[in-house]
Amino acid sequence: MNPEVHTLIGAYALDAVDEEDRRLVDRHLEECASCEQEAAELREAAARLADVTVAEPPSGLRERVLAEARRTRQEAPPDRGPDPEGPAARSAERLLRPRPLPRLRRALAAAALAVVIAFAGGAVTWAVMQQYGEAETSGSDRLAAVLEAEDAEVVTEDAPGGGRVTVVSSASLDRAVVMVSGLAGVGEDRAYQLWLVNDEGQVSAGVMEPGASSATMVVDGIAEADVMGVTEEPAGGSESPTLPMVAGVDMTA
Amino acid sequence: MLDKGGAERRRDRPHLRVAAETDGAETAERLLHRTALGEEDAFAGLYDLMSPRVYGLCLRVLRDPAQAEEVTQEVLIEVWRTATRFDQQRGTARAWVTTIAHRRAVDRVRSAQAAGDRERRAAAGAAEPEYDAVAEAAASRLEHRQVRRCLKTLTELQRRAVTLAYYGGHTYRQVATLLEAAVPTVKSRIRDGLIKLRDCLEAAR
Repeated sequence: MNPEVHTLIGAYALDAVDEEDRRLVDRHLEECASCEQEAAELREAAARLADVTVAEPPSGLRERVLAEARRTRQEAPPDRGPDPEGPAARSAERLLRPRPLPRLRRALAAAALAVVIAFAGGAVTWAVMQQYGEAETSGSDRLAAVLEAEDAEVVTEDAPGGGRVTVVSSASLDRAVVMVSGLAGVGEDRAYQLWLVNDEGQVSAGVMEPGASSATMVVDGIAEADVMGVTEEPAGGSESPTLPMVAGVDMTA
Repeated sequence: MLDKGGAERRRDRPHLRVAAETDGAETAERLLHRTALGEEDAFAGLYDLMSPRVYGLCLRVLRDPAQAEEVTQEVLIEVWRTATRFDQQRGTARAWVTTIAHRRAVDRVRSAQAAGDRERRAAAGAAEPEYDAVAEAAASRLEHRQVRRCLKTLTELQRRAVTLAYYGGHTYRQVATLLEAAVPTVKSRIRDGLIKLRDCLEAAR
C-alpha cells in the first residue's frame, strides 16, 4: 500500500481531487480491496453531509425530468459473467498460466513476464481479500488484455540517465502497458510522469508514486500518440512536462 | 418518521423500526432497483425521495438556483440511465445518488473555474461560510442532528477542511490555500476527519 496515494482516499471521497489524483486513486483501489472498502465507507460518510443541505426543488422540474427519462434509453447492466469465482480469480488464473505471447520478442518477453508474475501475485491476494462486489475491470485484467492482444507491439528505450522504459501497445484496444524500471533515483518530493506526445502537444498519461523509479502502468487513449515520454516532476505531477525528457519511446514504429 | 422509539410499533412494516435514514435507504434501494427495470413510476418515486437532496446539494455547491436546477436534472437523468449499474453490495442508494450529484456539481464548478468565473471570488479570499451557517438554517431533523453532532467531534482544521472541500467544491490543494495550511497536512486532515465522521455516524445507528 502506497501511503501517499492512500491518504488521498479522503479527498477522493469528497471529490476534492483533480483528474490526475483521481486516476492515481482509482488505480490504487483496483489493486487493494480493503482500500476500496474504505473508500466506499468514506463515500457513505461524505454523502451524509448532504443531509443538512436538503432543499425543495423548483416545481416544474419534476415533469421535465420524468419527460426526459421517458425518452432516454437506459444503459445495459454490467456483464457480471457466469464464473462463480469472479473476474479476479479468473484473471489471476489466466496470468499464472504460462502461455505464448506471440508478438513479444524473446528478450522483452522475459521482462514483461516478470512483471506479469509480480502482478499475478497481487491479483491472487486481491482475490482472497475481496469481500464483496466485483471490480468491473481490474488492473491486472486490463494489463493481461494488452499483453494478449493480437496486435501487441513492443518498444523499449534505454533512458540516458539509467533504467529503461518498455511500452507494449495495442492499437485495437487503444491501450498500452508501460513498464518503467530502474530510472535514476529521485527524492520523495519528486515523481516521474508519463506523457502521450504528438505534434499537437502532450497529455499526461499518469504520474508514478513519489520517489519511485520503477512502475507498471496501464494507459488508455494512445491512438493519437507518437511518443510515450517520461519526465521528472514534483510529486503529484505537473500540468505540463519539465524538459528535457528522461526517456521518450517512439510509438509510431 | 423520525421517532427512534417506534421499534415496538409497526411490526407489519419492519423497515420502519430503526432510524429514519435506514427506512429511507431501503425505500430508495427498492425504487432504484425497479427503476433499473425501466419502471417509470418507480423513478417518479425516486425523484420525490431524492430530488430535494440532489437539488439542495447542487444549490449549496453552485449557489446559483438556475445552475442547480440544470445540474439536478442532469443528475436524475444519469440516475435513470445508469440505475442498472447500481450495486447494493457496494453501498446505499442514497450515497450512490448523492455521489453522482456531488460529482456533477463539482464538475460544473471546476469547468466554470477553468473559464475563469469563480476565480475572482477565490482570489478575493471569499472563503466558504462556515458549516454552522448551513446547519443552523437546516431544520433539526434527526439525521441533521447526527451529522452536526458528529462534525463537532472533528478538530477545527479537520472540520473546516472537510466542509470546505465538500460544500465548497474545492480540491484539497485549494482548501490548503484557503486555510493557509500545508497541502500534505490538509490531505491527511481530510482523511482523518472523514474517518472520524464515518465512525461517529456508524456509532449513532
